[in-house]
Amino acid sequence: MVNDLSLDTINALAALILLADFMLVASSRMRSLTRIFALQSLAMGGLAAVVAFETGVGHIYVVAVLSIALKAVVIPRFIDYTADKIQVNREVEPLVKIPGSLLICAAITMLAYFVTEPIMELGTAITSNCLAISFATVLIGMFMMVSRRKAITEVVGLLVVENGVFLAAVSTTYSMPMVVELGVFFDIFVGVIIMGVFAFRINRTFETVDSTVLRRLKD
Amino acid sequence: MIEIALISPAVLAIICLLLGRHTRAIEAISVAGAGSLLVSGSYLAFRTFDEGAIDEGIWFMDQFSGLMMFIIVLIGFLAVVYSVPYMRQEMATGEVGKRKVSYYYGFLFLFMLTMVMVVVSDNLGMVWIAVEATTLVSAFLVGFHNKATSLEATWKYLIICSIGISLALLGTIFVYASSLPVLGEGSDLHWTSLMAVAGQLDPAFLKIGFVLVLIGYGTKAGLAPMHTWLPDAHSQSPSPVSALLSGVLLNCAMYAVLRYHILLTHSPLGGGFSSGMLLLFGMLSLGVAAAFIITQKDYKRLLAYSSIEHIGIIAIGFGFGGFWGVFGGLLHMLNHSLTKALLFFGAGNVLQKYGTKNISEVRGVGRTMPFTAALLLLGALAITGSPPFSIFISEIMVLAAGIGQGSFLPVIIYSGILVVVFAAFMGHVVRMIFGEPPPGIEKGEISRSGLLPMVALAAAIMIMGLYIPGLLGDALKELIGLFGGME
Repeated sequence: MVNDLSLDTINALAALILLADFMLVASSRMRSLTRIFALQSLAMGGLAAVVAFETGVGHIYVVAVLSIALKAVVIPRFIDYTADKIQVNREVEPLVKIPGSLLICAAITMLAYFVTEPIMELGTAITSNCLAISFATVLIGMFMMVSRRKAITEVVGLLVVENGVFLAAVSTTYSMPMVVELGVFFDIFVGVIIMGVFAFRINRTFETVDSTVLRRLKD
Repeated sequence: MIEIALISPAVLAIICLLLGRHTRAIEAISVAGAGSLLVSGSYLAFRTFDEGAIDEGIWFMDQFSGLMMFIIVLIGFLAVVYSVPYMRQEMATGEVGKRKVSYYYGFLFLFMLTMVMVVVSDNLGMVWIAVEATTLVSAFLVGFHNKATSLEATWKYLIICSIGISLALLGTIFVYASSLPVLGEGSDLHWTSLMAVAGQLDPAFLKIGFVLVLIGYGTKAGLAPMHTWLPDAHSQSPSPVSALLSGVLLNCAMYAVLRYHILLTHSPLGGGFSSGMLLLFGMLSLGVAAAFIITQKDYKRLLAYSSIEHIGIIAIGFGFGGFWGVFGGLLHMLNHSLTKALLFFGAGNVLQKYGTKNISEVRGVGRTMPFTAALLLLGALAITGSPPFSIFISEIMVLAAGIGQGSFLPVIIYSGILVVVFAAFMGHVVRMIFGEPPPGIEKGEISRSGLLPMVALAAAIMIMGLYIPGLLGDALKELIGLFGGME
């Protein structure tokens, strides 16, 4: 049976991930955005490690290590580096103001609990609570992408969505087969680098990374 | 055996990237390499058609993969052949340098590699990885011209497709979850092992999984309302790349959706749920595409919206299901890619000659480039479903499927929209082909060698309109059972 301490740790870490979602939406500075994302990934990695310990499924440890190494260290550094290089202004410049954004995110979270209720019972017992949080994380990440101006905040939003997907994988299926897991990490990593390259090119061409300038193509 | 189709494009890509400024050598190697890829890919397709599925552990090909493989290597080969004169012209006008040409061919082969990986991977997780890889690799091709508009298109492409695809990953996880009670920890997410226990998969997880997969891969396939990246990316890419994106990549994404559709058909859920969803998104795509085709001002965007329309028709085919629906849908995948490649090649010639994508600024193609004009007109007639071309046949099959199912409202909307699209699309093309060419446009084709792949495609769609080769027909009929179309 599941150890109570582990279960509490898992729930606490899941709550931390949800808290990080709200902090991301509430932060107005680029720097804090990447730091909170790193924190969220750290919580994600920790959660995976506890699940690995509890279930004895060895390769979840790999997920945990990769999640921490890539998403909590390498990718946030890379984003900071790109942001410095293109001298992006430090403000996030939300299209939806922060208080409004927080309200929307609260609504999203409730919606996530509501829609996952029918499948929560089907999920594995120890982490069923995580499923709702993973849905909320996916949706909040998407909301970040549409409501923030800068190309780089769109990339952070995408990474938050991916954290949500990973939480779902770890909590409902104890992660995926090893080869898939590695491939997914590889794709995310390459994806972030390519997006960085294009953010750089956009900056050079438009002299801004404000993605609202990307409005020329239309019908 | 299947590895050959994966290793050779990888090797070709590396060679192209290493050769750098030796443009002539790159061209020769690319054409020869794409030719050998065509031979090996067609052989694999032939084997699946002739002997049935090839299972090599992580790589798996049945007739469906065989059909896709054939489309990839055929359009890939023709796109490479067309690229040679196209890129020479771009170099002559100073649009691109020699170094960039080597990147172009290199990424073209990487793009083909990732698409081949989509259709030969047995593991649904690997399919996801490969689909995401197609986005990452082709982003460089979409943004090839490095202009403000192409960067915008690339950014939209990267962001919208990545977000879509992360939903597909979530869907994949739920489908995996549906198999865990049956297969336990040993479940490897292989499509074949899921199919073996399809009857015992958990319906609740499958249902939500399919919805997410359909939205996710549907984004990549260009199904409305997730299609918004498509007209930008397809119109901003170099024309041979547009042909690959429209003709091949959309099919590959649709292929991924359909693998799950097959799974659902054999599950306790039955095929009704997934075919209903396919029908809904197909209809929506058809409607959205028609609206934008009517008001279109840019001929490459016109072709892009036409791709959304045809992906819609394919989805509708599988949505109706039954013998004719599945047969028509599968055939339409092949027919659409052949015809759309022809049109994008023609559009490439027009763009290089007139230097504009605006329909209103292009007049008298018939006078300046008679061969291109004839092939374009033929392609336009074919894509709008006129007899005796192949698309006519598959569109009629889909229509017959709908009538057979007794779903009259969709049938009426479907045929109504097809008529409207015919009139609008032909109106645009006719205006471009006839009339007085604007002053300053010289007569003469861009190149003769660029016409060859177009002639080949035109011949193919005419022949396919008159009869379907026996081997292909038999293979498609065998697939109908897989889609549950025999009941």
